[in-house]
This record gives sequence, structure tokens and C-alpha cells, in this order.
Amino acid sequence: MNVVFAVKQYISKMIEDSGPGMKVLLMDKETTGIVSMVYTQSEILQKEVYLFERIDSQNREIMKHLKAICFLRPTKENVDYLIQELRRPKYSIYFIYFSNVISKSDVKSLAEADEQEVVAEVQEFYGDYIAVNPHLFSLNILGCCQGRNWDPAQLSRTTQGLTALLLSLKKCPVIRYQLSSEAAKTLAECVKQVISKEYELFEFRRTEVPPLLLILDRCDDAITPLLNQWTYQAMVHELLGIKNNRIDLSRVPGISKDLREVVLSAENDEFYANNMHLNFAEIGSNIKNLMEDFQKKKPKEQQKLESIADMKAFVENYPQFKKMSGTVSKHVTVVGELSRLVSERNLLEVSEVEQELACQNDHSSALQNVKRLLQNPKVTEFDAARLVMLYALHYERHSSNSLPGLLVDLRNKGVSEKYRKLVSAVVEYGGKRVRGSDLFSPKDAVAITKQFLKGLKGVENVYTQHQPFLHETLDHLIKGKLKESLYPYVGLSTLRDRPQDIIVFVIGGATYEEALTVYNLNCSTPGVRIVLGGTTVHNTKRDNNVSC
Amino acid sequence: MSKQSQGLQDMNPSAMEGLTLTCGSPRSLLTAFDRTNTESAKIRAIEKSVVPWVNDQDVPFCPDCGSKFSIRNRRHHCRLCGSIMCKKCMELISLLLANKLTSASRDALSTHTSPNQSPGSVHGSRRGSIGSVSSMSSVLDEKENERIRCCRHCKDTLLRREQQMDEREHTPAITRLYEKLRLCMAKVDQKAPEYTRMAASLNAGETTYSLEQASDLRLEVQKMYELIDALSKKILTLGLNQDPPPHPTTLRLQRMIRYSATLFVQEKLLGLMSLPTKEQFEELKKKRKQDMERKRMLERQAAPESQCRLEDKQRGPAANGEVAPTRKAEGWLPLPETQGQREDPDPLLQQIHNIESFIKQAQAASRTDEVRTLGENLRQLQDEYDRQQTAKAIELSRRQAEEEALQCEQLQRLREREWERERERERKQAASLHSRTQALDSREAAPFLLEPSRGPRPHPAFALELGSSSGSGMAPETPSPCAVWALSQESLHQSTEPQQNDCALNSFSRDFFSSPAVVQAKLPREYNPFEEEEEEEEEAVAAGNPFTSPDSPAPNPFDSPAPNPFEDGNDVPNRSPASPPVPGNPFEEPTGTNPFEVDSDSCPEAEEPIEEDLLLQQINNIKAYIFDAKQYGRLDEVEVLTENLRELRCTLAKQKGPPE
Repeated sequence: MNVVFAVKQYISKMIEDSGPGMKVLLMDKETTGIVSMVYTQSEILQKEVYLFERIDSQNREIMKHLKAICFLRPTKENVDYLIQELRRPKYSIYFIYFSNVISKSDVKSLAEADEQEVVAEVQEFYGDYIAVNPHLFSLNILGCCQGRNWDPAQLSRTTQGLTALLLSLKKCPVIRYQLSSEAAKTLAECVKQVISKEYELFEFRRTEVPPLLLILDRCDDAITPLLNQWTYQAMVHELLGIKNNRIDLSRVPGISKDLREVVLSAENDEFYANNMHLNFAEIGSNIKNLMEDFQKKKPKEQQKLESIADMKAFVENYPQFKKMSGTVSKHVTVVGELSRLVSERNLLEVSEVEQELACQNDHSSALQNVKRLLQNPKVTEFDAARLVMLYALHYERHSSNSLPGLLVDLRNKGVSEKYRKLVSAVVEYGGKRVRGSDLFSPKDAVAITKQFLKGLKGVENVYTQHQPFLHETLDHLIKGKLKESLYPYVGLSTLRDRPQDIIVFVIGGATYEEALTVYNLNCSTPGVRIVLGGTTVHNTKRDNNVSC
Repeated sequence: MSKQSQGLQDMNPSAMEGLTLTCGSPRSLLTAFDRTNTESAKIRAIEKSVVPWVNDQDVPFCPDCGSKFSIRNRRHHCRLCGSIMCKKCMELISLLLANKLTSASRDALSTHTSPNQSPGSVHGSRRGSIGSVSSMSSVLDEKENERIRCCRHCKDTLLRREQQMDEREHTPAITRLYEKLRLCMAKVDQKAPEYTRMAASLNAGETTYSLEQASDLRLEVQKMYELIDALSKKILTLGLNQDPPPHPTTLRLQRMIRYSATLFVQEKLLGLMSLPTKEQFEELKKKRKQDMERKRMLERQAAPESQCRLEDKQRGPAANGEVAPTRKAEGWLPLPETQGQREDPDPLLQQIHNIESFIKQAQAASRTDEVRTLGENLRQLQDEYDRQQTAKAIELSRRQAEEEALQCEQLQRLREREWERERERERKQAASLHSRTQALDSREAAPFLLEPSRGPRPHPAFALELGSSSGSGMAPETPSPCAVWALSQESLHQSTEPQQNDCALNSFSRDFFSSPAVVQAKLPREYNPFEEEEEEEEEAVAAGNPFTSPDSPAPNPFDSPAPNPFEDGNDVPNRSPASPPVPGNPFEEPTGTNPFEVDSDSCPEAEEPIEEDLLLQQINNIKAYIFDAKQYGRLDEVEVLTENLRELRCTLAKQKGPPE
């Protein structure tokens, strides 16, 4: 149940199968992203892959001394490109791998195009999703739904991605979905259909307890993506945006040329791997340690190398030093930028109010705080709109709801029309009417006492009070208490025992906060393995795009 | 894991049927054609036998251009696929091309297995005709007859095939270089670990491998690296100064290959540890020998010690270490290894060991009643042994104390003399510096308080503690005025060392380890007199003449105005019992001044002579880094590196200079 490992193995296998010799990797737009998530350039260079080309780029040179490894999604376009390629081959031999199930007719037309017999192999390798973390995957689809219903193209892409995931993890699951969401139901049925159609593919060794696929819809919990996050990975994504492990730092004032875009990958960056789930304060002290460590190792600028021994030491430490200096400068830049943004946008204060809006039920104090922050000139219009959205979602039906007043405040603050519209859009998207379960007021006795106790004890960290709704859902699921009336099964098969291998898929995108929850659950519950996925990985900006 | 979808290979035979028609036939046709090129009627027959011609009546229009066939616009048959076209759409293949296609297919393409290749049809047919074709080609070109008619589609296929053949025969320069490069890398991968093993073993002073052998191998690997470097550089610059500059992709490929080669060299080369020189190697061998000897000695020493610990209740039988093999014999036998390894000096101990091994065996055989009785016996024996040992220990400690006292006396005398001198000097200097007696100070003062004539006989443990603490703790930090004293102290200590060694290892040590509580309990009681005396002494010191405490380099001005001797005096001794003397201290002493260790430590580090090929190697490395740094545009690094490179070169030149 490690998605990064699964994809990486596929890629390694491809490269190994092609034997020795110079190689070029032919990919399409999506597979480029898939490969880059799991392999670094230097890693792949060592396997004699020297060139990376897009199948759709037109002016590729003829290089008959190269072997081509094609890793493509089995789309109509790609097949057409491939047919053209095979008719006029540019490379000596082709190893073709499709990232999903390909139709027989497509294979046939490819075979017909292969007049010069340059194709050595055609296989399906089901790496059709972006492996973000070992337990988190994404499909990088934005705006998967139109209103309440699926965009048909995106539905098929999502189904493909999900089935590929199941195949690569070798799971033939029992499927449950969220009843309140039409989209979840549709997707669940589509996946089931594919499984029954390609039943030979899904014949894996039966496990005692079958794995479970749970399909959820983002609109059930629109709160989580609206909150500011304080763990490293989530913060970077929220404030800077991570796309396929890459961060664009070009907007950072005074950034040097080689730090315009940096890669944060837990696979190759030890510091990141150790710190991605820690919160901001801890990162600060860790980065200080890293710096100190680095200072110790750093050769002095004009250090005289007196003896051969000095020189030897210098030369031996140099590559390590260089690598370290890369890591240090990268993280120092990123963390520096984060803290700059935090203070510039007054995020600590904003976040405190956000958490209060999300977790507590004191209407008047919440309203007061929101109003106060709206007056603060340091709060950006985006953050202001976000606060009002949270307020709107929480106190939608409250008797003394003063949303109109807040909207007026927003206008007075000079928040643009675009953002103000978002407020109603969010309520439309994730309001009470849509939600299948209650986000804010706990119903059963256990939850009520829990909240009561929490109120007594006081809050440990005001910025991280919020627990994503997913936590509760998964908790119930693991304990076998998830209500069948809310999350029914697809088909006849039901799960008697407590599930062990769980795949959760969130239509409309997962968040890093939820990923952290899953990570913690994986660590704390032995015997249970959870993989979380979504059509995308959210930050607030993207979420808003979705709901528009 | 993944379904092997229908491969193209599988599909090929059926899909390629069209090709079989077009490509397979020309060869057999040509061979036939060749032999009988004079008799046109026969030719026609043979042609038709190769491929059935399409019926004239079936094709009223040219399938390619659509013009109607008539008497003027005649039908032509493709000799390769049998289809019909008009004259305009007809193509001709020269014999030369045909020749090339067929002959090459036999030689060059023989490895390339294609479904349409039937070697039998080609075999042996070419021999006679090659010469005639070359001589006649110019003549033949004129005559339409001597060329093969075929349709456009067949010709296209043939031309493509020709191109493919050309490509196959021609390996571009980059491929050849690259193959060499990979070969070198493979060799390095194979040799480098071997070398590392050798070097590690040699550096440890082992004699498994010979030094010459290793340095040869090193040279070989280094040469490989140089070769890799050179080859990849060549690849990088390939075709750079050609007239039409190479395609950007080609350049990218070349850069990437170079980059990965650099990575490879960096990663592997740094793993190459250097070899010792001959002299160093001799040194290392000697050192190793000594090490071995020391280890053996230690083992010998450790044996009685472990026995001591063995009978210690806390350790119990586990200290034995060896697991007794289960024996199915009737009675319990003493284990051979315990018997053989240590000849216990004490018969009691011997007995204890035996019983222990019996118990183990009994446990293994799960005979609980026997275990119980044996355990009983063991306890009795151990009690007896303990009693004996305690008696011995008391005896030993008494002797020890006497010696200690003697030492202290001498020490005191020495110190007093030292102080006298010190006071003299102090008096001459301005008397403004006051004493600041603090923790270390008073601790240092303690030994002289132990003067046997005045104080009661000190407990041996305490004496030892103080002695060692002043010896080990003070010596390193004492500044110059005290150095003499420290030295004398040290020498005194060393003189007691051997004696301590002897007793410490058996009974004495046990006393310390097993009964720290006793020591602690006694300490405070005996402290009181000391305290008083210390106070007296402090008073005397304060009243008499202030002298700078030897280890406070800068006297504290805040302390100096009114040093309250009582406070100081009271403070420190009160505190010290709170942190009781570490019983292990005396033990640290003997190991610290272990004669063997001193021996090995004192062997001076030989000046490392500069090795020439190491230098060369470093130069190469640095060059690689410079290249690397330049590539990423880190100019400051480049500068530093260039500087280093220059220095290295100078050293090299100097090195080479004198011998020549």
C-alpha cells in the first residue's frame, strides 16, 4: 500500500526491460508528471536514460542509435501520435507501455503502423496517477464536476485513475460511497463496472478481509480546505502551491536564479521527509539546527589548504557539502518565504479566528472576531473572503445570522466582486442542504462528551484545533461503525469484518491536512493501512476554483 | 501484476502479410531474373510464377491515378505484387538496388529475424551475378528491360527497407564512444569494490593482500576513470565544429551523457581510499601486531575480572556468557569450555562454576527439583566465597591505606615546599590578589588534610578517591605555578599504579562495586573532622597570606574584597558528600595509564609523505568540480577551487623537482 513505490517499480521495470544502451523516454503531458514524482533526473540518468521527450513535440530529431521507451496514457491522441511515430520511426526500437487498459483495436492499428518492425514490446503498466506521498495520490484534475454532476470526460479519467490505482496495488475492493453525493454514486458504479468488465485483471490473491474503497465527496466537508495549515508540507502548498513536487518561488522578492523553482521530494530530501508533517514552529528550530550543522561543515571561504591531508578532506567532503548546501539554501528560502507571508498577511491571527469558526459554537464572539479582522488592513482580501466563507458555512442557519452585514463589510474593504461571489458559491457547494452529515454540531453522546471535555481542558494549540471530518469517518470505518445508511455498498458484497486495507477517494480533491490525518492513523493503528486520494490536492485557491 | 496485452509482435505475422507479398517476393524474383535475363519469354513465366498477376479485365482504371486503360494507355503489372497500373504510375527498380537489398539481407540482416525472410530462396543465388552486375550496370541502366517494374507502393517499401539497412550498418561515432564508455564503467563497477576491500584490509595492517597488488589495481581503476573522463569529454564535443551544427537534441544527449559520467566518477572515485605507503604499511603492521598482543593481554586480564563479577550476585551466572549445550547425559558434567578456558585460582570458585553449569544443564533438561537443590548448594558456596573475599578485601584495603598514607605524607611535604616558594613570590608581588577558594580549590586542598599525623586514619576508598581526583582532575587544568606540583603528584601516582592494578582487578574492585553504600555510609562520618580541619586551614590561609588559587586565571574582583573563609569552607565540604565520590574512579586510573596503551599511543604519527598519484588524482577531482561549478554558474566556488588547484599543482611541481 505504498503508491510511490508502486509507480517507481513500474518505471524501473520499464527501463530494465529495454536492456543496455542509450535510451530516450517518450511521454505525454500527464505521464511526465507521473514519472517526475517518483524519479529524479540523476537517478534516471544512471539507468542510461539520457533524453526525455514529449510524444507530441514535432521537431524531434531522428536518432537511430537510441532506444525509445514510451510511457503513455492510452488516449486516442496518443495512439495517433504513436502511429505516426511508428510509420516514420525516429529511434531504433520501441518499448511501449500504456498507463492503463488499452483497447484491442488500438493495439491492432499500432501493429499495422509498425511496418518497419521497430516495436519490441507493448505492455500495460498501471501507473496512471500522481503519487504524492506513500499514502497520498492525486489525479491532478481541476473542476471535475459541473454543478452536482460529473463532467463526462473527467468521470472517465477519474475512473481510469482509480482502477489503475487498484490494479497497481493489486486490490479488488468492496466499494462504499457517500449516499448524499450523486457524483460519488456515479463514480462508484463506474469503478464497479470496470472491475466486472476486466475481471481477469482483477484476479488477485484473495485476502482474508477484502480491501475497501470508500468514495467521498468534497462538498460534505468544505471547511477543511478553507483553513490555513501549519504543517510544513500543507503550509507550502497553501501559501506557495506544490505542483508535482515543484514549488514556484519566482514571486519571492529577491530570489536568486537557481531557486526560482525548487523541488520538494520526500524521496530524495531527508530534511523534507523528516519535517513535512511537523508544524511550523518545529520547522523553525529544525532549520536552525540544519544551518548550524551546515556552518560546521562549510569550508571557510579562503581556507588555506595547508597540507595534503587538508586537501584530501576538502575533496572528500566537497560533494556532500554541495548537496547539503543545496538542501539548506532551498529550505531556508522556502521557510523564510513562508514566515514572510505569515507576518505579511497576519496569518496567525487569521488562523486563530478560522479555527474558532471551524471548531467552536460561540456565534457572537466569532462574529466579533471576523468583523475585527475585516477592519485590519493587513488581512488580504482573499483571507477576508475566506473568513466570511467559513462564517457563512458554519452559521448558515443561525438565528442571528449576519452574513449580509459581513458582505457589506467585505465590499467596504474593497474586496473584489470575484471573491465576494465565492461566498455564496461555497455555501451553494458545501452548505447544509448538501451535506449528508453534520460537520459542526456532534450528534451522538460520545462526541458531545468529547467536545465538552475539550472545552474543559482548553485547547492545546489554537492553530491546530480542527480535525478534518475525514478523521471521524475513518475512525468509524476502522471500528466497523460507519453507518450503512449513509455510506452504502455498491452491489451485494458487504464487509463483515473490520477493514484492513482502505483506499479513500475524495471527489473534488483531498487536502494535506487530511493526508496528515491518514498518516497519523496509519502510524497509530496497527494492521490498518490507508491510502488517500483525490481528484487533486487542494489549497484554498484551488478549492474555490472548483466550487465556482 | 500487469496484463501482458497483445503485443505487436504477436500481431505482426497477420498484419505483415501485405509486406510478405511485397518484400518477400522481390528477392526470389530477382534471383530468378538474374540467371535468365536473356530469355524474355522465360522471364515472363518466371515472373508470373513468383506472384500471380491480377487479371487485366478486373482493372479498368489505374488504381493510383484513375486514368482509364486503353490501347494507348496500357496496363502494366507490378512484378512484385502483381497489381496493375498505368505507365505513369509505374516505377522501376535498378538491378543495383535490387542487388543491394538481396545481398545485404543475407549478410547484414541475417540476425534480424523477420517473418518474411526465407533464407533458402536467397541462398547461393548471388555468387555468379555480383561481378556481372557491377560491370554491366551502366549499360543496363539504359535498357528498361533490365530493371524491375513495380508499383509505387512496393517501391516505397523497398526504399524504406534500404534506408533501414543503411542505418543498421552505420553506427554513428557517438554510439561507438558510448559503448566504450559503458565498458569502462562496467569494469570500474567490477574492480572498485575489490580494490576497496584490499585497501581496507591493508590500512588495517593485515597482510592478506600485497601492497604492490593493490597499488596496481588502484592504478588500473584510476586509468579507467581517466578513460571515462576522456571518453565522455569526447562525446560532449562530438560534432561541435561541424558545418551544420548538430541538432539541439543531439547536443542535449551529449551533455547528458557527460553529466552522468561526471556523476559516476564523483560517486565512485571518492569511495577509493588511499593506500598506505611502504613505510606506513610496515608501521601499520607493527601496530596491528601490538594491538593483537594487547588484546590477548586484556583477555587474559579480563578472565579473573569476569570471575570476580561472576560471583557478584547482581551479575549472576549470566556473566558466564556461554550457553550451555543441552546434554542428555544422566549426570551433569562441568562444561568443557568453562573448565578449559579459565583455570580458576580458587577451588571455591571452580566449584561455583561447575555448579552453575550443572544448573544450566538441568534447566535445559527442565528438571526443576535438581535445579532447586543445586541452587541451594550454589548459594552456600557463594556465601562462603563472599566471606572469604571480604576478609581478603579488608586485608588488602588496609595495606592499600597504609601505602596511601605514606604517599600522602610525601606529597604533603612536596606541596608544603611548593607553597613556601609560592608564598615567597606572592609576598614580593603586590598583596592585592586574594584567594578565591572554591570547589576545585578545596578539593585540591583535601589531600594534604589527610596527613596521617593529624587526621584519623582515612578510609581507603576516600583516600583513593581524593588522590585520583586530584591527579586526574587537576593535572590538565593547572596553570604554570602548580605544574610542578601536578607533575610530582602524577609521578607519585604512577608509582602506585602497578600495585593498584594488581589488587584492583580482583577483590578490591569488588569491594568498590558491590558496596558503594558502605563507602557512602562511612564517608559523612569521617568527613566531620576533615571539615573542621579544613576550616582551620582555610582560616590560616586567609589570615596568613592570600595566595592565588592556581586554577583561576583571572581572580574575581567581586570575591576578593572580603572573602569569607567560613562560608567557603563550609560550603564546599558540605556539598561534596552530596555528590559522593564515584567508586569507579580508581578504576579509570589504571586503564588510563595502562602501560600498553601508552605504548601504542606514544608511537608518533609519521609525517604523511605526499603521494604523487594521490596528488594527481586530487587534481583531477578538483578539475571535475570546477567544471561542475561552472556549469551551475557558481563563480565563487570556481574561484576557490581554482586556487586550490593551483596550490596542488605547485606541490606537485615541488615534489617532482628534487628527485630529478
